Amino acid sequence: MNDASVEANGLVREFKGDVRAVDGVSLSVPAGQIYGFLGPNGAGKSTIIRILTTLLSPTAGSATVGGHDVVKEADAVRHKIGVALQDAAIDPFMTGRELLRLQGVLHGLSRNETRKRGERLLERVDLVDAADRRVGTYSGGMRRRLDLALALIHEPQVLFLDEPTTGLDPISRHTLWNEVRRLNRETGTTVFLTTQYLEEADELANRVAIIAQGRIVADGTPTDLKAEIGQPTLSITVSRDQLDDARTTMARFGAPAPNGDSGLSIQLPDGAAGVAGVVRALDEAGVTATGLDLSEPSLDDVFMAKTGKRMEADEVTAS
Amino acid sequence: MRRMPSVFVPSLLMPLFILVATAGAFRGIGALPAFEGSSYLAFTIPMATVMGGGFAGINAGMTLARDMEGGFVDRLVASPSPRVALVLGPALAAMARSSFTTTIIFIAGLIGGVGLPGVMGTLVVYLVAAAFSVATACWAMGVALRTGTVQATPLMQVAVFVSIFFSVAYAPREAQDGWLRNISDVNPVTYLLEASRDAELTGVAISSLAPAILAAAGLIALLGAFALLGLRRLGT
Amino acid sequence: MNLALRQTGALGRRALIRTMRVPQAWVPSLFFPLMLMAIFSGSFAQAPGMIPGFPEVAGFLDFIIAGTILQAVLIAGTSGGAAFAADIEGGFFDRLVSSPASRLALIGGRITANIVIGVAFAAFFITVAMIFGARISGGVPGLLLTFVFTVFLAAAAGGLGVTLALRSGSAEAAQGAFPLFFALMFFSSAFFPRETMDGWFKTVADLNPVSYVVEGMRVPIAGTGDASDALLGLVIVIGLAAISIVATLRSLDRRLKGDL
Repeated sequence: MNDASVEANGLVREFKGDVRAVDGVSLSVPAGQIYGFLGPNGAGKSTIIRILTTLLSPTAGSATVGGHDVVKEADAVRHKIGVALQDAAIDPFMTGRELLRLQGVLHGLSRNETRKRGERLLERVDLVDAADRRVGTYSGGMRRRLDLALALIHEPQVLFLDEPTTGLDPISRHTLWNEVRRLNRETGTTVFLTTQYLEEADELANRVAIIAQGRIVADGTPTDLKAEIGQPTLSITVSRDQLDDARTTMARFGAPAPNGDSGLSIQLPDGAAGVAGVVRALDEAGVTATGLDLSEPSLDDVFMAKTGKRMEADEVTAS
Repeated sequence: MRRMPSVFVPSLLMPLFILVATAGAFRGIGALPAFEGSSYLAFTIPMATVMGGGFAGINAGMTLARDMEGGFVDRLVASPSPRVALVLGPALAAMARSSFTTTIIFIAGLIGGVGLPGVMGTLVVYLVAAAFSVATACWAMGVALRTGTVQATPLMQVAVFVSIFFSVAYAPREAQDGWLRNISDVNPVTYLLEASRDAELTGVAISSLAPAILAAAGLIALLGAFALLGLRRLGT
Repeated sequence: MNLALRQTGALGRRALIRTMRVPQAWVPSLFFPLMLMAIFSGSFAQAPGMIPGFPEVAGFLDFIIAGTILQAVLIAGTSGGAAFAADIEGGFFDRLVSSPASRLALIGGRITANIVIGVAFAAFFITVAMIFGARISGGVPGLLLTFVFTVFLAAAAGGLGVTLALRSGSAEAAQGAFPLFFALMFFSSAFFPRETMDGWFKTVADLNPVSYVVEGMRVPIAGTGDASDALLGLVIVIGLAAISIVATLRSLDRRLKGDL
């Protein structure tokens, strides 16, 4: 069976003291998709990923991964999934190569197969030179890359990544994103990732669910979700004597709204793709724009609209 | 502060545990002639009180190390109060803790049928343990001042335990095997224990008290210097 | 089954490597028993032959070997438990659980490592004691029997350590079991014969299974007691190991169900 989907139906998880960390979550991830689970700290993301990776049983509801029930067929699920959990739980006293070898045995691979795949993965995540050093000496980015390699040793059909880039610098973050995208493109591996970074969900995921207080509050492609909130807005600034000409020209593209005393804004459904047309038309009309700004509604705006709250204040927001 | 109780309780009760376990397990050894008929429980009381002094000293070092980690010491150093207080205060506190454990040990002894050794005898047992607590506090604080981390605790502990174990902790010198006897002969803790033991078992004797005073003075002078020199590293 | 064994071996190997690379995890289990072995044999050298009721042995050093091995194995059990708890705290345990590895291997690896460490320690202490004049009275068969005792003792102590780790999930709590081990050891005949004790202390030592295990172990090492003492000790240590491993399995089950 080559089913690599993830389905959940009415998942509930309560902890001692009647805390409902997950409160009726249903979701459906078709095979081959990158699914982003977006929410602030404590929203229930990690609890859901722990249920889907068989680490925690749900209080109510059910879930299947790769067509297998996560409770009744936990072992079959474990064969299909690769898991890289939060804080990159890697033994600091072992070397990268030792951990890869161990991971291979845990998944029942032969020694030979483990070695072959391990070397290929080390190359792929650029850790060949560091492979025989203890993990304790690795940087944060190297640990995450090793964690990814460990999760991939048995060529899983579904990959779970719990906050894969939390705490990483922007360069390490982009390296990891590229690796995940490439993996998904080349092998069709389904990727289920949680994140608190709007940018990450926006960049990586085909589909995003926004979770707050244990419930999914919005679900769709990043573009759809943003479109629901509003369209990209183009704002221009011109010298005051050209304001009327500018308004006439821009009226061909939408309904210009005043923006300050020498600016105009219109909504552009095409976003960046539509900017060139507007600029050309202004140029032909002899209007010189002194300022130009295209702002797209961000997932942050979606989160705000759905929950009434901003995500973390120090958040890296979507561009 | 959150961690204080877990540090506080065992270090006060450990000497009691050592007294009960040692006196109970090795009771039979008291039949050797070298013990001159004294009960092994009475024989062990001085060792347990000195051990209590050692635990109190280690505690002073651990507390200082924790304060250094927490930045509390930096603030004290920046304040106009004399730096010596940083070492002197905990040393006095160690004496107080040591007196507390000595009292517990005496009470346990009473329950086990060993009476107090008179006013002078009791005083000497208290003072020997207190002197050892000051010496070990100086040692542990010296280590803390040089390392600045609680992780150095095992180093503080091992030295104190080794110094007690390789003295006359379990048997008098007359009963010891040659090699151990050679070590305990030159170990100052031996003389502290012997003075305390004389006081406990047969009565205060100048012949054992004089070497003990010398040993205590030497230890405190040496380790005190070690701690005070460590103070100079602060704030540089 | 073959795969489960391979996985147990791989996890055991990892636990061993980890122990060796963290000196704090094994130095105390060697240092303290070695120190007490020296101190006790130096302090109580006159005991055999002069204390009424003391069993007939070649020397106190011969007598104390079994207690020394016991002590090292118990300390190693505590640090093994603490290391296991650290795996739970750090999330390494989750990595194992989310893999299809045999559930038995999850705990079997650690316990196997404890057994290997225990036997290595036993061999080390026996060697040191022999350098200082002790003799294994049972010869080579006696030595083998000693190792059999050590295997089950290490399984019992290792299982207890892992159980505490699984239940608490905290290295500090697992390390906190040390005083319990310490009491079990001192309130027994590990360091001095029960024949010389009296009162409530003797009652406790009589009830303490550790007494019988050590006394059984002393039969092949120091030539005390007879075959029935050895057999009794062996039965008790196997029983302790069995109880400990059942407790470990139950704790594992509870943790995997998410009850802990």
